[in-house]
Amino acid sequence: MTGAIVLENVTKTFGETLAVDRLSLSVPKGSVYGFIGPNGSGKTTTLRMIMNILVPDSGEIRIFGERLRKSDTDRIGYMPEERGIYTRMKVRDLLRFYGSLKSGRNVRREVDKWLEKLDLADWGNKKLEALSKGMRQKVQFIATVVSGPEIVLLDEPFTGLDPVNTEAIKDAILGLQAGGATVIFSTHDMSVAEKMCNFIFMIFRGRKVLDGPLAAIQDQYGSDTIRMRTDGGVRALANLEGVERVNDFGQIQELRMARGCDPQNVLASVLSRTAVRSFEIVKPSLHDIFLRIAGPAGKEANHA
Amino acid sequence: MRKVLKLAQREYIASVKTKGFIIGLILAPLMMGGSLIAFALLKDRVDTTDKKFAVIDRSGVIAGYLAEAVDKRNAEEIFDKESGRKIKPAYSVEVVAPDESDPRAQRLSLSDRVRRAELHAFVDIGRDVVHPGDDPAPAHIAYYAKNAALDDLRGWIVWPINDRLRQVRLRDAGIEQEKVRDLFFWVNVDGLGLVSLDEGTGDISDAKKASEIEAILVPILMMMLMFLMIMMSVPGMLHSVMEEKTQRIAELLLGSVSPFQFMIGKVLGGIAVSLTSSAVYVTGGILAVRTMHYEHFIPYHVLPWFFAYMLLAIVMFGSYAAALGSACSEAKDAQSLTFPVLIPALFPMFVYFPVVREPASAFATVLSLIPTFTPLLMLIRQSTPEPVPSWQPAAGLAGMLALTVLFVWAGGRLFRVAILMQGTPPRLSNILRWAFKG
Repeated sequence: MTGAIVLENVTKTFGETLAVDRLSLSVPKGSVYGFIGPNGSGKTTTLRMIMNILVPDSGEIRIFGERLRKSDTDRIGYMPEERGIYTRMKVRDLLRFYGSLKSGRNVRREVDKWLEKLDLADWGNKKLEALSKGMRQKVQFIATVVSGPEIVLLDEPFTGLDPVNTEAIKDAILGLQAGGATVIFSTHDMSVAEKMCNFIFMIFRGRKVLDGPLAAIQDQYGSDTIRMRTDGGVRALANLEGVERVNDFGQIQELRMARGCDPQNVLASVLSRTAVRSFEIVKPSLHDIFLRIAGPAGKEANHA
Repeated sequence: MRKVLKLAQREYIASVKTKGFIIGLILAPLMMGGSLIAFALLKDRVDTTDKKFAVIDRSGVIAGYLAEAVDKRNAEEIFDKESGRKIKPAYSVEVVAPDESDPRAQRLSLSDRVRRAELHAFVDIGRDVVHPGDDPAPAHIAYYAKNAALDDLRGWIVWPINDRLRQVRLRDAGIEQEKVRDLFFWVNVDGLGLVSLDEGTGDISDAKKASEIEAILVPILMMMLMFLMIMMSVPGMLHSVMEEKTQRIAELLLGSVSPFQFMIGKVLGGIAVSLTSSAVYVTGGILAVRTMHYEHFIPYHVLPWFFAYMLLAIVMFGSYAAALGSACSEAKDAQSLTFPVLIPALFPMFVYFPVVREPASAFATVLSLIPTFTPLLMLIRQSTPEPVPSWQPAAGLAGMLALTVLFVWAGGRLFRVAILMQGTPPRLSNILRWAFKG
């Protein structure tokens, strides 16, 4: 896959604040690329620079091999995190307006197609103010993709959606990818990123800390995690030798082992305390990796 | 340009396809010309309740004549001759003997009667009104009422009193009034324009009679129309940009258009709204005036200038307003900036009267050449019968064009920086820094 978007040593500051620090990134064409990172880490700033809404202080952004120009934004659909929309416009009029702003072809037909696809056909002649929050978010998603962009940037597309609408947007994103589009979305939902993204990029304090396929990222951390279910639950797992951290999910617990720790010894210790119903040695989840980097301990380590 | 036009089209439709616009289109001229219309409609509506007043005649020669004059007026003037309807109040006089021992107590007593509504007013005629001496006090006539300043009775009473004074003075001088009738024939001075030569026929055309409508009303109406057009679009731009910023619509738009295109789209939308309104008002106004056969008052030669000034004024003030709107993070910021935005358009309203009175004065000329005042003040000057040297409107327009370019440039820079900046208050220092340093 060739690079649909390439960032080279891109830096952006706001006054004294360094928002993005010498960021380099290559987003392969046709991929679904997940942007993760804590709030204020630089995700939105990066997306805005790709959209040419913000201009980098230094570095270069290339779209399909060419230096980013203002006209390239017609090839990119962008859904910002803040869901501002003209609430007094009718759904169909609003979508045609956004589609025509992007030089979209067959905008009218595309609008009807997408309204049908996302189950909003009956709402096309209603004003936005009459729609629920979830419906408005779907309208905004359609506004982003209705012009048929080659690259789609979605800032937190799943926030605030119920499972049904989440599923609809997820299918739509995968449909765009199947149609050849390159999709970048930012999310705080690690399970969505794990399941949907070909590549995951994590930014923390303006710097890239993770970038690559999930498996490769997990390989960096090795199989240092035990996922187990016991009768005693989390209380039976306190103060186990060789275990750095216990992450309690209620029904199951994940134990992070210290370097050189033998999982058989951990199993033996737990068995001496309670009955074990399941025991699995796994790679760390994206959620766990995120916490290792951006959680309190990780922050201290990064800060140091 | 296509994107700018799309934005302008959306802005235009969003503004025009609302009940508020239609209602505003009707109400705005009513509000602005409301007092004139109300005056015209209600000027014949007078209080016809009869009024009684008292007279203390210290001269001894006026009260009787006044009573006769009142009777004559009641007989001849208070009923409409055709319909027989009462159109004015009847007056009646109560002659009160002067109390020279305590005139102040007498005036208090009569004032109390006015307060109790037994009298409408009372008049105290000084002893020496017929032949005033060196001491002016006894030669005065005083009128006491609850609202003496705006009292029709006071306005009327002056005439019979002075008629009587003239009679008595002539008699005392031994002159027969019939012989000096011409002495009191008042001659008016007719106001006329200038005589001019018709270049087509070579004839000398007669001067037109100067009219207050042409000299005052037409320029004021043109100025009000221009002010209305600015008011109908410019503050709206500030608030609409502020709303698009605070409701986070701006970022979505900026994914498709540049901040400059965004701002210009807004301004063009505002121009389209103003052109629609002004077309309605100008066409409606011309038709109404022609229907009333006053078409000779329509300043057709000023209309092209009106539209030229209006277009530039809306781009100039609109880009300034849209840029300031982009610097607002909440509604109260926009409220506090609305007045400063309108000051350049409001200022000419405070100075229009001296400009109308003397449109060729240095004061009027200089002010009308200041670009932010040109749309209103040059328009006033051009709408008066006094001709304006042709270079002055051209210079005014050129000044406006130069300032418009500056405002659009600085506004575009301010807009680009401020539109995505949340939570930073629009202080003057920030605004200037964003506009000139980016």
